[in-house]
This record gives sequence, structure tokens and C-alpha cells, in this order.
Amino acid sequence: MSITDRLAQWMGKTESFKKLSTLPLSLVLNFVLIVPFAIMIYLSFTKWEPLAGYDWWRAPIAGIPRFIEAFADARLAWALIRTAIFVAVVLPLEFLLGLGMALLLLGDFRGKKAFTSIILYPMMMPWVVVGLGFYLMFQYFGPVNLLILRPVFGEGGMIDWFTDPVLAFAVIILADVWQWTPLMFLIIYAGLVAVPNRLVEAAEVLGASPSRILRTVRLPLIKPLVVIALIIRGLEAFKVFDIVYIMTGGGPGGNLTEVISLYVYKLAIVYNNTSYACAVSLIIMVAIALITRLAIRPLEVKVE
Amino acid sequence: MSEQKETEEKVTRRGYMKYVGGIVVVAVVAAAGYGIYQATLPPPTKPSPTGPVSGATVSERAINGVKQLVDAGVVPKGATVKMLHVAGSKNNFEPFLADWEAKTGTKVELVTVGSEPDVYTKAMAEATAKTGEYDTVTVFSTWMGDVVEAGLAKDLDAYYARYNPEYGPQYPDNTPILPLADYTTMYKGKRYAVDLDADVFTLTYRKDLIENPDYAKEFKSKFGYDLKVPDTWEETKDVCQFFTELDLKAPDGEKVYGGYFYADPGWAAFTTWFCIFVSKGGIVFSPNDMKAMVNTQEGIDATQIMTDLVPYMHPDTLSMSWASLYARYCEGKAVLTMAWPSLIKWAQDPSTSKIVGKSGSALAPGAKVTVGGKEVLLKAAANVVNWVSIISNYSKYPEVAYAFWQWVTSPEIGAQSVSRVGIMDIFREVWFKPPYKETFEKAYTPEFLAVFKDCIAHSFPDLMIKGSSEYLDKLTKNVSAAYTKTKTPKQAMDDTAKEWDAITDRLGRDVQLAAWKSFIPLYPKDVQDVWKAKGYIS
Repeated sequence: MSITDRLAQWMGKTESFKKLSTLPLSLVLNFVLIVPFAIMIYLSFTKWEPLAGYDWWRAPIAGIPRFIEAFADARLAWALIRTAIFVAVVLPLEFLLGLGMALLLLGDFRGKKAFTSIILYPMMMPWVVVGLGFYLMFQYFGPVNLLILRPVFGEGGMIDWFTDPVLAFAVIILADVWQWTPLMFLIIYAGLVAVPNRLVEAAEVLGASPSRILRTVRLPLIKPLVVIALIIRGLEAFKVFDIVYIMTGGGPGGNLTEVISLYVYKLAIVYNNTSYACAVSLIIMVAIALITRLAIRPLEVKVE
Repeated sequence: MSEQKETEEKVTRRGYMKYVGGIVVVAVVAAAGYGIYQATLPPPTKPSPTGPVSGATVSERAINGVKQLVDAGVVPKGATVKMLHVAGSKNNFEPFLADWEAKTGTKVELVTVGSEPDVYTKAMAEATAKTGEYDTVTVFSTWMGDVVEAGLAKDLDAYYARYNPEYGPQYPDNTPILPLADYTTMYKGKRYAVDLDADVFTLTYRKDLIENPDYAKEFKSKFGYDLKVPDTWEETKDVCQFFTELDLKAPDGEKVYGGYFYADPGWAAFTTWFCIFVSKGGIVFSPNDMKAMVNTQEGIDATQIMTDLVPYMHPDTLSMSWASLYARYCEGKAVLTMAWPSLIKWAQDPSTSKIVGKSGSALAPGAKVTVGGKEVLLKAAANVVNWVSIISNYSKYPEVAYAFWQWVTSPEIGAQSVSRVGIMDIFREVWFKPPYKETFEKAYTPEFLAVFKDCIAHSFPDLMIKGSSEYLDKLTKNVSAAYTKTKTPKQAMDDTAKEWDAITDRLGRDVQLAAWKSFIPLYPKDVQDVWKAKGYIS
């Protein structure tokens, strides 16, 4: 049998066709994800940084001291705590605001399409643009102070937002909520629209109030969608980097708004402490995988 | 039957993993094979020309050298050299690229990034990835230790010998200012960079306000001495307080503040602190064991002075980037400031300034310190983050990249390039003299040129040892924490010292100590005398 015949025969099999179809994705996954990931795991067990004077594959194996170091790193612990606070604040805020907006837009009204598009615009903007926008808006001589606080409270009412860690963190949260509430809105709105009208009408006929319909009909039906939205958004919020990097760089007060992504970035890029950055990344990745696993449990409940 | 077939042909998890694993193995083997093949290739058949390049001037030799390379077929006509640089220097280089291409047949392409730390991150990423993406990078001299140790910066000794850029005391007219040009372009005795800049800090002030007789009278009645350009940091605080409390209005109607000194947590906060610290007689590391000495009384005092200045500085000081100082000063919103020489170019240019002709220049304020029982005024100006250009070890056309720098920084072409508004500053001796003097007086003011020489005489190098970027980041974060009162000055300095010692231990105390010791003789003699008097050095 000639080579072309063999190839044609191989291509003719369903399994071969499936493999061939996924080849591009396999290549991308291997070389963008799997190979770098394997290198990261390897580096986390070595003692290497670009300033070492030799290439990373020549780095001596150091074992687990990097991991031990991570568990004793107070700055890492604080960055994790701050990130957890950030997620814990933005997630419910974005969910509640998204739900509220979705409920408001459920009915028909003039200009609904345009209004819906406007709501979605923040989500389409690059993080860096959002970060820069809020950074400039909340400067001492920025529009928030000059156009709102000064006319109302006078010179004394102007706030130095980025020199106070709590206020600076609040601005970061505000920027994130502004940008990502539309995502929550979009997912919840899509779910609510898909709820069969007959169920809502039946509940209405039986005398259920709008809030009861929401609690007992609409929300239970869109629960899987909401869980997915919260997981996606929660994971994204955990990775927050750009807006913090641009607005505060982790400051003020040294590192008082530093989140985990920014800390890892500094370890790897500014401090060139590559091995340690890899070890920290690995620990965080395992932790997130476990948390995500727990979070998707509600979706695995079998419907009888 | 068809269901059975489907089951038989189902892609199993195990089968798929084997398939994916197979792809990885094949690709890795192929990549390794390609690497080995590349390594065994014979060297290029066309040998690169060697020996000194002919030409009467620095720029002529650069052009002739590249022409030789093109004629010899070592570099193809139209070859492009990629330069990674920061946006602030675009105006210094871009106007000259067409001329370079016309003269040599090779091109220079600018890869511009917005902020200085981005240059560092891209350069260090390239040092690890070794892609050859950038042929040359403009870097802070502060990063020299890092870019050399990481293997990115090419040793340029051979090019210096071949092209003779006229560095050194044997070329008293043309040489870049010494010793600045040597310590900013060299590392461990070898030349790794071309000089682009002389970034010694200078005090810039509103002459019209400081010399105003009404304010002078008012100041004297309030503080008990004459209003003048401050000689000490304590006087600086008085002047800043006085003008802040005067509540003057800038041309746009906003408030004028007494001062604007770098204090932002981005990266620049360490610069002002460094000047105050050294003028107080502080030394950053012990020359005996490399122990961090930033938490000595001098360090705490320097941090306290800046903390005391905060209420009298423009609010942007604590949160905006370095460029904000340029903008606010040129808008007339600060009376005293201290920055790089390029500030005066901005302040003198009507397109960027509302206070043209109103600025004066002076040596940075200092501190009164006791030497041998006698009180002396010690002034020290930091030569911080001097721009230099390195050539990548992974560049395809390193010699062309080098020759471009020699040409664009030559006495002839550099005079046009550096005098433009941009972050490159006057760095050659010859530019202080006719026929170039007039061009630079127009760009910087005659007063500045006279003062700048004095600043250079009192200048000291910034930290240029391996890991400088990390050392200075930690210092910046801690001093800015003190300025926003989230740490006390002592706490900030103690934290810095602890973090610096940890870095030193990680990078190797002996290696770092040897590097640091080589910088001590570069500090001005009066600073070294104070260190001796304090017993810091022998």
C-alpha cells in the first residue's frame, strides 16, 4: 500500500479525523500552556534568576526551600489577604448590581437596546484604559475633586485618594465594579430572559409577589448560570493586576494595596527572583484549583 | 452497527494524552535538533572587517564603519536595527533616522515604550528569552549591573577600539564628561554602553518669585533671615512653606505650591532622598561588610526632612509619575524643584512652558555637617538614572547598532540631538564651548550651563551594582510610606535596611561588596572626607 493510500485510510477513520481537527489546539496548548507550565514547575525547585549568569536549564536543583520560604513570607500572606478581600467585595457588589440592572431591563421600554449597549461598554474597554481613567479622575486635581468635592465642600473637602491605602483600595474596587458589573448583568439577563414566561405567569396567577417570583422561580432556574458567572468573575478578580499596577503600583505605604498578581510580577520581573516567583505561582495555582473545585460542586448535584 | 463503530472509534483520554505527548516529544526533539544544527554551522563566510575605521571625526568613523560592513557584504543594504527606548527620548532620536539611512543604507527602527520601568522589564525578559528582538536598548545606568550580569549587554571594548568614539582624558575637548561617562558606561572594568546623558540633579527655582523684594521683606519678618536660594534642606523647607502659605495663583488660576520634589512611589522617590542622605554624610552600605546603612541617623533625618516638606509640596508629588514634576513646574505651580537638566529645556520652551525666562538654576541644597570639629556645608547632587545605550548580545547587527549610537551622540550630530526638548542631556565637554555653546545656551540658558558644571563637580553615582533595581524599589516604597505617614522615618529605614540585607545575602555578599567598593572613590572628595571623619571609611 502506498503512503498516500495509508494516509487516506488513516484520514478516513473517525478517530484520526478528530485528532487532526484538534491538532492546532493541541499545538497551542502545548507550547503556550503546557511547556511553559512544566518549565515553571521545574524552576520552582531550582535556585535561578536571570542575574545568575547562567541559563535556566543549568540551574542547580534546590528542592523545596522556595516553598518553605513562601509559607514564611509575610508580604505574600498580606497580598493574598488583600486579594481575598478584593474578591470578597467586588464579587457580591457586581452580582447584586448586575442582578438589579438585569431585573430593571427585563421589561420592554423605549431605547432599551441603546441602553443595554451603553451598559456593556465598560466591559469592552481594556483594563489598562480603565485603570488610567480612574487614576486620572481621582488625582488630587482630578475631575472628582475639582468637579464634585470642591464645589460642594470647598478646598478642605478635596481628598488625596492615592495617599491613603484604604481610599486607594476603594478606588481600585470602584474601577473593577464599574468595568465588570456589565458581565454579571449580561449573564444574569440572558438567564432571566430564558426563564419560561408561563412559569412566571402561573406564579402571578397564584398571587405570588414579584420578590417571591424572583426568589422561588427566577433565581432557582438561573442558579447554574449564576454559579458559573460567579466562578468566572471570581477567578478574574483574583487575577486583578492592570488596574492596581497603573493606579497605585501596590502603594501607598509601600505595599498596602499590593495584590497577589502584582507581587508575583515584582518578584519575577522587578526583583528577578524567578525561582521564588515560580514557587509562589505554583502554590497559588494549586490553591485556586482547590477553591474552584469546591465552588463548582453545586453544579454537580444530580437532578432527579 | 453504527453505534458500535462510534464506540470503537471514540477518542479515549489515554489515547488523546498519548497523542498530545507525542506531539510534544516530536517538537522538542525537532527543536533540539535544530539547535544542534545551528550550533554546528560554520561561521559566516564573509569575515567582518577589522582594524581601526578611518575618518577625521567621531561621526565620520561611525558612517565609514557601517559602509565598510555593507560593502563587505557582512551587513545587507537596508538592514534594520531595532532600538527599544522610552517615549521621552523619541524627540532626541527620531529626527535623525532618515539622515542615518541616507548615509549608511541601514535603518534604525524605534520601539517606544511609555514608562522607564517598562524598558527594564522588556530588557530583562529579552535577557532570558534571547530572541534578538531588540538590537539595542537605552537603559538607566542604574541597571547596568543587571543587564550585564543577565547576559544582555554586549562587551563593547572591541568597537570602542575600532571606532574610537573619543572617550577619555586624552580627548579633553570631545570626551563625554568624566568621570560620569566612564562609570555610567563601564561595568567591572569593561565598556558595555555608549553615553547618552549626564543626569546630575540641579535645583531649579522661580527666579522672579525668589528675587521679589516684597516677598523678601515678608520672608525675613517671618523666618528671621533673607529670602534666597536655599543652601540647606532646612532652608528649603522654610522657602517651600513660605510660598505655599502665600497662596499665589498660577497662570491657570490654581494654587502655587512652595516645592515639588520627587516622592512618588512609582520609582523616582529615592532620587531626592539620595541627595539629602549623602549631603547629610550618609553612606548606603558599609565598605567593610556590605551591611545596609540606610537606617543610620542620616537616613532617618533625610526621610524626616522629606516628610516635613510634604505639606508644602504640590499634591501630585505623592502619587503622580516623574513627568508630572515637569508639567506642574512649567505650569508655574511650584517655586522650588530639583530634577534632571532636561527640566530647564522644558521650562524654556514656549510650547511646553508658561514660565519661560523665569527660572533660575543652582546647586542642590545641602546640610551642615561637622568634620574635625568644624562645621561645613556639604552639598551633593545625585547623578541618577543616567541614560546609556547597550547593544544586545543577541543582535543580528550589533556593530551597526553601535555605530548608530556613536554617530547620533557624536560631538557634531549629538549637539543637534541633545539640544532638542527630550530627556537626553548635555554630556560632552565640547558642547560647553564655541561653536556649540550658543545652541546649548539657547536650550538650557547660560546660567544653567555655568551652574551645571558645578553640579557635576559635586555629583555622585547612583547605585549601579547588581540588583540595583530591586534595592531602589524597596527604598522607594519605604520612603514613600514614610511620606504618606504609614510608617515612621525610623521604621521605613529599618525596613529598608532589613530588605537590602536580604537582597545582598541572596545575590552574594562578597560579590556585592566588591562592586560597591569600586564606587566609593567616585563620590566627591568632600563627601569622602565626611565619611572618613565619621569613621565610615578609612
